[in-house]
Amino acid sequence: MSVDIESARLTTDVPAAEAEMPTENADLLSKLRRYRNLLISIFSVVTFISVWELVGRLGLVSPVFLPSPSLIYREGVMLFQNGVIQTDILASTRRVLVGFGISAAVAVPLGLLMGTSETLKAIFDPILSIIRPLPALSWIPLSMLWLGIGESQKYAIVFMGAFAPTLVYVIDATRRVDPLVIKAAKNLGASRLAVLREVILPGAMPNIISGLKVVLAVAWTCIISAEMVGASNGLGYRIWSAKDWGNTPQVLLGMVGISLTVLVIDTIFKKVEEKLIPWERNRR
Amino acid sequence: MSLIVFENVSKWYVDGKTRIQAVDNFNLSIEKGEFVCIVGASGCGKSTLLNMVAGFIKPSSGRILLNGEPITGIDPRCGMIFQNYALFPWKTVLGNVEFGLKMKGVPKKERQKVAREYISMVGLSGFENSYPSELSGGMKQRVTIARALANDPEILLMDEPFAALDAMTRQVMQEELLRIVDESNKTTLFITHSIDEALLLADRVIIMSARPGRVKQDLTIDLPRPRHVSDQLSERYLELKNTIWSSVEEEVLHNMLITYGENNRQPKRKLA
Ligand SMILES: Nc1ncnc2c1ncn2[C@@H]1O[C@H](COP(=O)(O)OP(=O)(O)O)[C@@H](O)[C@H]1O
Ligand SMILES: [Mg+2]
Repeated sequence: MSVDIESARLTTDVPAAEAEMPTENADLLSKLRRYRNLLISIFSVVTFISVWELVGRLGLVSPVFLPSPSLIYREGVMLFQNGVIQTDILASTRRVLVGFGISAAVAVPLGLLMGTSETLKAIFDPILSIIRPLPALSWIPLSMLWLGIGESQKYAIVFMGAFAPTLVYVIDATRRVDPLVIKAAKNLGASRLAVLREVILPGAMPNIISGLKVVLAVAWTCIISAEMVGASNGLGYRIWSAKDWGNTPQVLLGMVGISLTVLVIDTIFKKVEEKLIPWERNRR
Repeated sequence: MSLIVFENVSKWYVDGKTRIQAVDNFNLSIEKGEFVCIVGASGCGKSTLLNMVAGFIKPSSGRILLNGEPITGIDPRCGMIFQNYALFPWKTVLGNVEFGLKMKGVPKKERQKVAREYISMVGLSGFENSYPSELSGGMKQRVTIARALANDPEILLMDEPFAALDAMTRQVMQEELLRIVDESNKTTLFITHSIDEALLLADRVIIMSARPGRVKQDLTIDLPRPRHVSDQLSERYLELKNTIWSSVEEEVLHNMLITYGENNRQPKRKLA
């Protein structure tokens, strides 16, 4: 009987990670599949750009209306060589990151407290419910009156756009932390502060981070709009002024610039996410 | 002096306009080092009792004494082992097991040394850096036990801890628990609805009445130790099992009548 039990332990207690270890063959197969999908993607991009180019070359659409990729590329090389596009990308990125960072630095702790204290929730909830429905863009006139069109006005717009949604995400994430785990922590002797730091913060972290990802996209919307209304550099400014000059290739170039920058930042954000919530590593 | 004393403990829940009495005038003393199992029909107030010992809820009347002093709040001296593990998903096995000591302010090196000892005691050496999501159910329950033990509680409270495990793993865990409790010499209050589990583990079996829960019978289990699953064929075992079963059966039937009475607007669905 005891022998049976020993073997039962061996068979039932194999960790999940070991049981799913892929064999070499399966590894190769999945690699091949990835290459195949990559090839298909490359083909699709090349086709799309070729058709677009062809439409331009054949004169089917006027270049003022829709410039061909080669024209955009030429514009890009030019703006790159005189350093304009780099300045724009850096300016916009910095504004987004500073505004977003300040908003997160205030909203995350405040949200944790509001999510766990009825009193604090009662104090801040009315303010939040008034700010929340306001689109960030509605703050542009007031912020320009108060702060002009300098950098602090840009940070303020991003902050106003990011703050309320971040707060809402954090409060919600805090309330979703498993109450059983909080009970367990208290049973092991955790004080209120320890529960907040050791249980609620990490427990809410995955949902906070997915909220922050959404807010980061909102922050980009804010800064591009703010730059269109009043700025002397940045991707939003570039697009708007190019339109005024009738420089359609530059308008499109600016749009491509936004796209690529957001992509790069998202990738970096994902790396940060893996560092911040390593325990989710086998759930992704 | 007894380690734990229930003194005329009653508990009722108020749920809207209805008042549900879960525990009624419950009296029991548990001595240091005893392994006590509580068995009873589902809904008879077993979890309520355990939650009151842990301090998660307060008795409506009466009191529970630990070493002669009433329990007034959540008390780390009563280490709870939850059926659904309640491990911290963001902490590794080591991080989970050292948690209680960290809360006590034990320096990192020292508490990790202690934690490793308990991890080894529950047979999980080598998994210190795994996250709970990487472990099987049986392994998770081992971590919970190690986490509770590392905090050195006066009593272990276990609420149907193995009910979520498959039959094989459950058997392994029962034998492991016997070994661990023996090694660590802990007083244990264990809730189960499995008579076999109670007979394998307990020094004493408390049979509870149907809701509201009272002590119906207090049986000393005189089966020799160490016990094994194979002992389930001995004559004394079967005798005890019969005694407990006939006592529990009455309460289960009674319980069905209560449930029927409360839901007599849709009796068919409830009885099915
Ligand atoms: N928080 C609560 N509010 C209202 N009723 C409750 C609550 N917790 C338990 N009960 C009721 O009290 C009775 C005893 O519950 P419980 O202690 O969980 O029983 P057991 O663990 O023996 O199954 C049940 O009828 C249950 O429905
Ligand atoms: Mg229960």
